[in-house]
Amino acid sequence: MAPLKSLESEYPIIDSDFRQFCASHAIFSVEDFLVHDIYVLMALAEEHDTSDRLKQAITQVLSIIDAQHQPWLDGLELLGYSQKSKSILSTGCERIDAFLRGGFQGGVLTELVGPSSSGKTQVCLLAASNVTKSGLGRVLFLDTGNSFSPTRVAQFVSSSSELADTESSKILPQVLDNIECRSVFDIFTLLDVLHQLLQNLRYQVGQNLRMLIIDSVSSLITPVLGGAGTHGHALMASAGFLLKKLAYEHNLSVLMTNHMVAGDGGVIKPALGESWKSIPHIRLLLSRDVLNNICSMFILRHPSMAIGERVEFAIL
Amino acid sequence: MESTVKDWIKADETAKEMLTRLFTERPFLPLPPPLHKLPLRPGNVVEVAGAPSSGKTHILMQAAISCILPKQWKGVQFGGMERLAVFVDLDCRFDVLRFSRLLKHKLIQANSNDMKSQTQYDEELFAECMRRFLYIRGYNSLEFLATLKTMNNQLQKQKDIQGVGVHLLVLDRKSLSLQSVMENVVQDLQKLLLVHLLLVLATKNSISGDKSTADELMRNTSSGPRPKHREYMPSVWQSFVTHRIHVAASEHDGDHRRQRTYLTEWILPSVNFSDRFVINEDGVSLIS
Repeated sequence: MAPLKSLESEYPIIDSDFRQFCASHAIFSVEDFLVHDIYVLMALAEEHDTSDRLKQAITQVLSIIDAQHQPWLDGLELLGYSQKSKSILSTGCERIDAFLRGGFQGGVLTELVGPSSSGKTQVCLLAASNVTKSGLGRVLFLDTGNSFSPTRVAQFVSSSSELADTESSKILPQVLDNIECRSVFDIFTLLDVLHQLLQNLRYQVGQNLRMLIIDSVSSLITPVLGGAGTHGHALMASAGFLLKKLAYEHNLSVLMTNHMVAGDGGVIKPALGESWKSIPHIRLLLSRDVLNNICSMFILRHPSMAIGERVEFAIL
Repeated sequence: MESTVKDWIKADETAKEMLTRLFTERPFLPLPPPLHKLPLRPGNVVEVAGAPSSGKTHILMQAAISCILPKQWKGVQFGGMERLAVFVDLDCRFDVLRFSRLLKHKLIQANSNDMKSQTQYDEELFAECMRRFLYIRGYNSLEFLATLKTMNNQLQKQKDIQGVGVHLLVLDRKSLSLQSVMENVVQDLQKLLLVHLLLVLATKNSISGDKSTADELMRNTSSGPRPKHREYMPSVWQSFVTHRIHVAASEHDGDHRRQRTYLTEWILPSVNFSDRFVINEDGVSLIS
């Protein structure tokens, strides 16, 4: 955070006199104000000669602090905001759409967890091709293991029953144009990309990004977790909050894939541990029966559906 | 000199006066299950602890609903507290659609209890209740501290606008680490508690101290000692909390529709009973 000196040009009341008073109580920036007792400061300001000016300056800093938190909303405003901006993106598979009450929700973090080759990347590719094919907007695909396949996307587009072959080959370049694929191989690059995205979305209105896919988020976080330090957990938590902010403020639908690890008693469980469990809004467990190629999706966590419900589907 | 000594010895008020004053200023709050069995009053701080996905946020939502519902409206009894409720969402996963559905269910239920129409609710009443619900998010600890510093002014403003005070402060925090600023948070909360008559409900993710999963232990020892949960919150927070309740999912209940049941247990004060509940469309409903 900027030191108090830099605020003087905008708020002339924060003059050197005030800064000296603050420095005598070890306050040098607005952040320091957050960890000090404001009422005690006010009382101490009383004892000074220029107490009125000092108190005015403290009130000014308080109003700067007021601008630093998220806005207060009442229930009606909150409901209106979510009803207006919440959108549901179809997943591309009718059975999953019916199961998830429409598809992947905007503003929500959905996690697809499952053992290897259970269909997670396929579901992501299907969703991406569906969003761009229907012209709903753009998709950003952050690929950590070179799993993005334009050929597969082309297959999804052409296998859809509504379009004839010639038509689908015409829209294919446009579809592929609207999917931006970036390779990300470590958590720091991910945080960088997300920060950049937040900036871009804040200043450019015409981007029309609707979906963000991270395949797979666990391969970025697992290398930093574990060990003696807790900074791995902190990185995971900050990535999680950044994603939530992106999803909420710009109505993005975020899809993340996660793999499984061995748990207690030989039972496999999702990777990334207990603290990750409270980051995604919706957690879906995928598994595939290899013999008949039927995938099933099982709810691990959902704000309004019961845990344990499942659906079976096949991706052709 | 003599008069000051006499004043000092003279009683301020009798015990009866004090109790009458306390019970009017800080009445027992009618909270929904599973918080209903212990008498909770403004000034108490309740920590709702549990593993992820154990129904904690639902309990908080129900408590907020019973705070914003009116006592009675157009002849129908609702039994709410008719006060403002503040929800500080540090988890950023609050589902307002689910919350509004739960509120509508409660309104319809009260209407049908009173022999009025079974499926309708009063739109105006719904709007009034939702207006009494104040919501704010925080993506990091700085934003949360900024919120706390300015909360007093905000609550005063809302009190002037709506004419009623705040009775409930909900802190939904599951993965945001506040370790470094916990002292300041507790200090600010204590100051808020002095000025406003608040009941604070805070969530906490509990970490099992044992190696085996909590579900296995539930299955094996249904009435034996509960698994120990590691207390990882700083001591300043632990001494701030006045009540603790623990929620866990139990899976050994094989009957009725394979619905997931949850078990709650009061840890502080430690009492012997525990409640079972399920979460369905209407929210939290107690069984047994």
